[in-house]
Amino acid sequence: MFKGISQSEILRAVVATKKGKIGLTLVFFFIFMAIFADLLSPYNPFDRVGPPFAAPSTKHPLGLNDIGQDLLSELIHGARVSLLVGFAAASVRTLIGLLVGLMAGYFGGALDDWTMRFVDVLLILPSLPLMILLAAYVGQSIWNIILIISLLGWPGLARLVRSQTLTLRERPYVEAARSMGITNLSIVFTVIFPNMFPLVLANTVLDIMGAILSEAGLSFLGLGDPTHKSWGMMLYYAQQRNAFFQHLWYWIAFPGLCITLIGLGFALVGMTLDEVANPRLRRRV
Amino acid sequence: MPGDPARILANEGMLPKEAVDTLVRTFNLDRPYHEQLVSYLVNAFRGDFGFSYKYYPTTVMELLLTRLPWTILLLGLATITTSIFGIVIGLVCAWKRESKTDVAALSVSIFIWAIPYFWLAMVLLYLFGYIFPIFPLGHGVTVGARHGGFVEYLGDVLWHLALPVIAITLTGYASYSLITRNTMIETLAEDYVLTAEAKGLSERQVLLRHAARNALLPLVTMIALRLGFIVSGAIFTETVFSYPGVGLLIYESIMYQDFPVLQGAFFILSVTVIVANLTADVLYSILDPRIKYR
Repeated sequence: MFKGISQSEILRAVVATKKGKIGLTLVFFFIFMAIFADLLSPYNPFDRVGPPFAAPSTKHPLGLNDIGQDLLSELIHGARVSLLVGFAAASVRTLIGLLVGLMAGYFGGALDDWTMRFVDVLLILPSLPLMILLAAYVGQSIWNIILIISLLGWPGLARLVRSQTLTLRERPYVEAARSMGITNLSIVFTVIFPNMFPLVLANTVLDIMGAILSEAGLSFLGLGDPTHKSWGMMLYYAQQRNAFFQHLWYWIAFPGLCITLIGLGFALVGMTLDEVANPRLRRRV
Repeated sequence: MPGDPARILANEGMLPKEAVDTLVRTFNLDRPYHEQLVSYLVNAFRGDFGFSYKYYPTTVMELLLTRLPWTILLLGLATITTSIFGIVIGLVCAWKRESKTDVAALSVSIFIWAIPYFWLAMVLLYLFGYIFPIFPLGHGVTVGARHGGFVEYLGDVLWHLALPVIAITLTGYASYSLITRNTMIETLAEDYVLTAEAKGLSERQVLLRHAARNALLPLVTMIALRLGFIVSGAIFTETVFSYPGVGLLIYESIMYQDFPVLQGAFFILSVTVIVANLTADVLYSILDPRIKYR
């Protein structure tokens, strides 16, 4: 196995920078929030615990929503949805992008041409409107959302992976491996892929942020899954019930703030990883 | 599909069966799917997107034509402001590279970039439309107002456009400034910049007349590529501000399951993006004398 940078080096590099530290702190904060949501929230967010639109009190620090559910508990549980969608969608995207990019880059020829043409078309079309269209058709379920987000985001990674594959394909050790009789498929996965691993990782982390934002956006438009409490859906209900004019500004402020911070966390970690992995971005001598 | 179009059209049983059958036949809903697709595409070419389910008998085309100018106004203005704002900040950061200004500006940019734009739009609306009522609470023009003349009308429109454009600009400028900054830094390291400095030109002349012009080319590509983002942003912004554009139309058609409108609006949106990209390609070849299209 040939690795450009070892995994512990990557982690050390991320923690070393200020950006990385802040990013990791934010990410772990929300992961913690998601895992221990049931313990942390004062109530079950699906329970009606009082009159709708109740103002904040000591029992309910953020008040109650339009059905009488505790807003703070909703907020804490929202982390679960965002992280679930984020990780799931980003993983699927990465998987598809990797496979397509590696195959197109390594085997070249007609496969490469046609695949890249398809990728280009997908890249040009604005993805969010397409997601909205698909979501409107397939119905509101969280797995549909994840599917839609993954299906529309992979072309970016495919291009990146493909160009990396093209470069790495010409390296001497690849030729050596081939002459040793290792099958092409094996070379692709055991030799070429590990060398672009840090770059792919950086991209995946940034993808997580993108997926979280996409989910928030779709939910805000009312296309989310009503059976899951997501920050985007909280904003959707807030908008529908005209929260502003009822002085329920916190209903809007806090979910949005959470989305921002979790996105920021992943963005910072992703950017730091990118700096480490991408030689072009390193400090010029 | 979340609703059979024929049933929706027939208002779920309020029409007699014969009427429903006629409707189904008129809209070709009983023909096999691939035939429907072909006839849709053929009609689309002729500009016929069919009738809106909700606003029957208004055609989809009519709806689109009323809404499209608003969206183009919003998107056009937003693209200009985002590009200018982003590029200016990028240039400043590149020149004052690694200084406190640079670091501060970049950090602020990244933070604002992470904010979901519809949330930012809501916050801006609340702060500047409600708490400090500087800007209107939404829509394209003041509802029911009579305007003295075109200039007054234009002023009202622009006043209503201010917040949406600000919202899109704030969320979008970060990537522009980042790319501008990096491109400029690379350009500034080139030899001809050194020559210009050695010739004794002032800082500003070097920056603007030599470096910026060459860095501008990739920026045009970048603006073209980011057009898709601005279009996506329009849907959310128009929804939050109730701005009468194609974005709001899409939102409404989702709510009312008005599929012809949704498809038509989508079509138009995609065509707009493709046309814009094409224009950018042509512009790029004009700007860079080294590129020739075979």
